[in-house]
Amino acid sequence: MATAVPTDFTNQVVFTEETATFSPEVIEEMRSHLTKYPEERKRSALIPLLFVIQRERGYIDNPGVNFLADFLDLEVTDVWETATFYSMFNLRPVGRHHLQICKTLSCKIMGEPEITEHVCNRLGIHPGETTADGKFTVSLVECLGSCGTAPMMQNGFDYYEDLTVEKVDKILDSLK
Amino acid sequence: MSTELIKVTINEQEFEVEKGAKLIEVCREKGFGIPSFCYYGDLALQASCRMCLVRIEKMPKLQTSCTITCTDGMIVTTQSEEIEKAQRAMSEFLLANHPLDCPVCDRGGECELQEMVMDWGDLEERFVERKNAQPEKFLSPIVANDPQRCILCKRCTRVCDEWMGEEAIEAGNRGVNTVIGTYGGWLGCSQCGNCIEVCPTGTLLDGVYRHETRPWEMDQTRTTDVYSSDGMQLSIGSRGGEVHRIVARDRYVNGLNGEFLDVKARFAHGFINSKDRIKTPLIRYKKGGKLIPSTWDEAIHFVGSKLKESGNNVGVVASSRLTNESIFTLKRFATEAVNSNNYAVSDAYDLAPFFDNLSAPLCTHKEIRHAKTILLIGGEPEEEQTFTAKQIRQAVRNGGAKFIVVHDTPIRLAAQASQFIHVNKGSLDAFALAFADQSDATITKKLGAAQTEIDDLLKTIGETEGDFIIMFGGDLSAEAQAVLANVAGSFASDTRRALLHPLPLYNNSVGANDMMAGKKPLEEVLRTSKALLIAGSLPEDKTDLLANKDFVVVQELFETATTEYADVVLPAASFAEVDGTFTNNAGFVQRVRKAIEPIHQSKPDWVIASMIARELGADFGYNFSSTMVFKAIADSVPAYEGLRYPLLKDESKPVQAKYSPVAKRDLSNEFAALRRKVEALPETSEKITETPRVGHKLHRVTTMTGKTDQFHLLAAGNPKPENLLVSPLVQFNLDGTPRLVEMAEAASVNVKDRIDDKETVASKVVLK
Ligand code: SF4
Ligand code: SF4
Ligand code: FES
Ligand code: FES
Repeated sequence: MATAVPTDFTNQVVFTEETATFSPEVIEEMRSHLTKYPEERKRSALIPLLFVIQRERGYIDNPGVNFLADFLDLEVTDVWETATFYSMFNLRPVGRHHLQICKTLSCKIMGEPEITEHVCNRLGIHPGETTADGKFTVSLVECLGSCGTAPMMQNGFDYYEDLTVEKVDKILDSLK
Repeated sequence: MSTELIKVTINEQEFEVEKGAKLIEVCREKGFGIPSFCYYGDLALQASCRMCLVRIEKMPKLQTSCTITCTDGMIVTTQSEEIEKAQRAMSEFLLANHPLDCPVCDRGGECELQEMVMDWGDLEERFVERKNAQPEKFLSPIVANDPQRCILCKRCTRVCDEWMGEEAIEAGNRGVNTVIGTYGGWLGCSQCGNCIEVCPTGTLLDGVYRHETRPWEMDQTRTTDVYSSDGMQLSIGSRGGEVHRIVARDRYVNGLNGEFLDVKARFAHGFINSKDRIKTPLIRYKKGGKLIPSTWDEAIHFVGSKLKESGNNVGVVASSRLTNESIFTLKRFATEAVNSNNYAVSDAYDLAPFFDNLSAPLCTHKEIRHAKTILLIGGEPEEEQTFTAKQIRQAVRNGGAKFIVVHDTPIRLAAQASQFIHVNKGSLDAFALAFADQSDATITKKLGAAQTEIDDLLKTIGETEGDFIIMFGGDLSAEAQAVLANVAGSFASDTRRALLHPLPLYNNSVGANDMMAGKKPLEEVLRTSKALLIAGSLPEDKTDLLANKDFVVVQELFETATTEYADVVLPAASFAEVDGTFTNNAGFVQRVRKAIEPIHQSKPDWVIASMIARELGADFGYNFSSTMVFKAIADSVPAYEGLRYPLLKDESKPVQAKYSPVAKRDLSNEFAALRRKVEALPETSEKITETPRVGHKLHRVTTMTGKTDQFHLLAAGNPKPENLLVSPLVQFNLDGTPRLVEMAEAASVNVKDRIDDKETVASKVVLK
């Protein structure tokens, strides 16, 4: 009965003033997101920009948050609020493959516990943990909107649906 | 505002209510109780607690009354089996993760959750699963946090956002894991404590008062803030002669500021019962000797005989922190007891030029909140007049007001401004001239701003329909203040009111100006008098002037730089120990009430002054009752005519002193002086680009705030401790250097152990 999300990130973050730097192309990309929203509503670009930070830095790290707060004229705590709300943003480093198993009702009924059990046993980790080789992270997340094909999980932006134990094995084998 | 009336039916009774009224307010006003948590009159709607459910005919499902605006013909039921069942269910959910240990919770006894559950909930709990237990911790030296008691009403985050404009505290994570907190776990904000005030549960706690006593054991005394000139109303909680805390909770006090206070008003009360208070009269018999404790009789006698020797060379100085009663009596002391015109207020910012040229009415804080255009020239309300700053923020945010800041520093409040005229360092005077005399376009050169910026500003003012407010403070020269105060009235028109709002620095600056009509500049009094009676301390840079005086009497709470020059020090009572009045920057004359008896042998300043006067053979006609002093004030100060204490009884209806706007005076002298000053300004001057740090004035350690340990840590930059579970006061020395690291570590290991233990035990129970 381990919990996937630690209840409180706040104590673990070592807060620094350091600000991340990005290449001109990435900055350009971030600017392009801004143009989609009215000028005085810059903060609306927060979610797309969080994705950029995550792609560039692997996870939403402290310097990245500082950068975003500056870029969008927000308080760091505003960024923190949004970033922690969505399970697709990682506040800690994750493995190369981030397996997010849906644990909400439909999937649960259709056999999520068995899938989770199997994945975790095979990788030897609890949900929320990363394998020692840094290859896999397993998380339990809320409904991913694919209930019709439950149980399901997500790796990055790819969906794996109608899971069975055998199917999971094949998937894990295929992931490098 | 339209006051169209519509009809609504509540529980089969028909009422006429104002169109646009909120249903929850209407129901409560008409006497139908409705439980609520997240609803807070002054904040954006949230509708997350779902306690306020009602049935409205023709609407499917129960509705949250806090989000419903009354419409004509609405038929509402607030009580039925269906509603009760839903409310019981909601409160059960709220309690699902809430520890049931009110006896150890600091909010117990005045907790809204406790009350709501007693009134509307089920007293038996069916929830047996493991609770999401979390340890109590600190978010700052001032804000303590017990996360597991949170019901996620988000009043705290809204208050921080809407009132303070800080967005320092937010909700992180989601679902059952949601916590109120910050990124990094530490609150680096202004520490106003408003989040603590509005929290309906024991989640956010006053770190200064925590665990000192219980709410029901304290006496509550309604009184007025002793720090800011906004005159915020608050309630002092005291027990057995000791002040334990200050709140503005609406169950105790209902003043112009609602539940709003700032860090000084709410937390810096440690000075009242400080062990450093002067206990008895002290006499220095020989210059250079020591101050020796004495009795009142002897001290008064000694002072009397010494002052007689000095004839009418005696000067009197009053601090603008004192009550009107004390300042008035000190003035009478000067004119009647020692026959001297040498009296002054020890406040660098003289309000006389402002009030002598008042061409428009003073505005109230309510009018700021609903103003259409606000012009702020200099000053820093977010650090000095915090309630004014809050009203400005809300006027902009919720009322869509235009807010124009003219400043040489990009103050934090300027971020909310619709126009920011960034002038050269120290050239606010030039702006005053350019604004008052629009004929001379050359002035803008000195200003470092373009003429078009001023044209834009004038255009905005010209387009304003409704209230136009001009605010400025002491960073303008006296001439500039006179000119601005005098020109303000000319902006009024049929559709526009022009209003003025001064920004004085002390709680009773305005009252001091009223009481000491004819006062002289402080320096002049200090230089020309041979002997001095000083109530309160002088600004530190002025104390040198006290050397070589024949005789100096100081009435003070603490030994300060001023008392070092004193021949006699008389222990004065603090604002919590006296009855009286303060006058705020809106001209409201508000009551100060005695919460505790004067500490040690201290006495109210006006009592001390009248005791010395009697020794000198003068009689003011009052000796014991501040009521009589106030009556004397009302009889001799025109603006206070007819006022009596009973008229000031209700803090929710404050009474304004009657300042009559003066007819436009000939100010050519002032204009000429101002022009000379402006011409002396350099044409090119670098601009200040750095925004001052949060709390750079609020967190300053002074004689008064310094008696509350937490302020030392705040002033040292509010360092984040290693360990959030243990009070920062244990982990840091007062100068902010780390201390007792091992002790903090040891304490936290214990806490963690306890929690881990509980978890293992609990999970075993669940798994079995
Ligand atoms: S103390 Fe004031 S500024 Fe700080 S978090 Fe609370 S409400 Fe916000
Ligand atoms: S901390 Fe208090 S005010 Fe804030 S959400 Fe929780 S219960 Fe509400
Ligand atoms: S419940 Fe799993 S996708 Fe919706
Ligand atoms: S008060 Fe209406 S939903 Fe909370």
